[in-house]
Amino acid sequence: MMLNDVKILIGDDSILARKQLKDIISTYGNPVFIEASNGQDTIDQYKKESPALVFLDIVMPVKDGNVAIREIMEYDKDADIIVVSSVGTQSQLKAAIEAGARDFIQKPLNAEQIHHIITSRFEGR
Amino acid sequence: MYAQFFGNFLLSRNVVTRKQLIDIMQKKADTKVKLGTLAIHAGYMTASEVDRIYILQTHQDKRFGELAISEGYLTEEQVTNLLLEQEPDFLLLGQALIEEGIIDNQQLQDLIIAYQSDNELDEFTYSSETQDAIHHMVENFFVLAERSLSPYEISFFHLLLNNLIRFIGDDFTLVSPSDCKEYPTNYCISQKLNGTFSVRTYMDIPEEACVAFASRYVGEEFTEFDEYVTSSLEDFLNLHNGVFSVNMSNEYSMELELEAPVVEDKDLLTFNGTECYLLPIVYPFGTVHFIFEIYKSE
Repeated sequence: MMLNDVKILIGDDSILARKQLKDIISTYGNPVFIEASNGQDTIDQYKKESPALVFLDIVMPVKDGNVAIREIMEYDKDADIIVVSSVGTQSQLKAAIEAGARDFIQKPLNAEQIHHIITSRFEGR
Repeated sequence: MYAQFFGNFLLSRNVVTRKQLIDIMQKKADTKVKLGTLAIHAGYMTASEVDRIYILQTHQDKRFGELAISEGYLTEEQVTNLLLEQEPDFLLLGQALIEEGIIDNQQLQDLIIAYQSDNELDEFTYSSETQDAIHHMVENFFVLAERSLSPYEISFFHLLLNNLIRFIGDDFTLVSPSDCKEYPTNYCISQKLNGTFSVRTYMDIPEEACVAFASRYVGEEFTEFDEYVTSSLEDFLNLHNGVFSVNMSNEYSMELELEAPVVEDKDLLTFNGTECYLLPIVYPFGTVHFIFEIYKSE
């Protein structure tokens, strides 16, 4: 399976969103999930675990997603961060991409969006 | 959505009791055939195309027919035909009232005329619920203050009702909104939107009803009041405010900032100095109380 042993970090204050994301991603193998429930925790976990892929919410307590993206990008300019947010406005999308996110998914999640993200990165592994 | 407003009208005229209306709204929901189902039956769309439109509807505040046309699955003529096949929502409600022996045909006709007149609906389009007509009804329903509602408030309330129908179900009964100075909480969360239009929305539900609400929202059967259930409620509120922000950005180039949802731990919420309104939404599984604390609506 293409995702076996791949480290994936999920930064979202919603335990439901984290579970839904894990359920969908797990259909592509058995990755190692690392979870964080706020922006600062996501930054700390990134530095500790160096995941291959990050799914990150924007509206979060302590530090919001865009701040977390910038701090992670300063630490690792090759970080692969996908923003997952319920606020899919053009300005939000622009802010996330400018901060360094590679892609943007609007909540609620569905399998089709995740399929594109996973296969474009890990197919053929 | 006419059925909810019409139901509220019947309540206010004492034509039905609240219990009768709740039962009938549920019965009506059971008999309603969705437009997507009709499209499959007519051979216009495949099941996977219909599913795709349902997914798109979770991200865009648009009606099924509108999205199906823009995605190239249906023509405008096909949508019109399907809408004609679909029993209008409020007529299903009227039919159920007659079947239950609560009113007869003549009374239904009189009530419809009175309702049209109260809402200044010149042309009551039974088969197509135009956005303008529903906006107008939302405006009439939410007679909250001396002032008239701003377009943002109308859009906000209209979207909330749409989101309840889309994500939780259309078997709810609307109880007229009222001023709110204080409110004793059950399980209560809130989320604030900041900007040209600033509002904090509280959502309060008894614990046992939280489980049912979350089960409907997520599409999984939750059995106990746990963190997945509470997270589902926050997710719904977050989704509503998120889609509203997108609508405001697209329609008015207005950028709103969304705060993270919070759990209200006070037993009694008190509101001083802000405009505050309570809207009870009665589902068969329990009542969801929304409170809107409006800070700014230019």
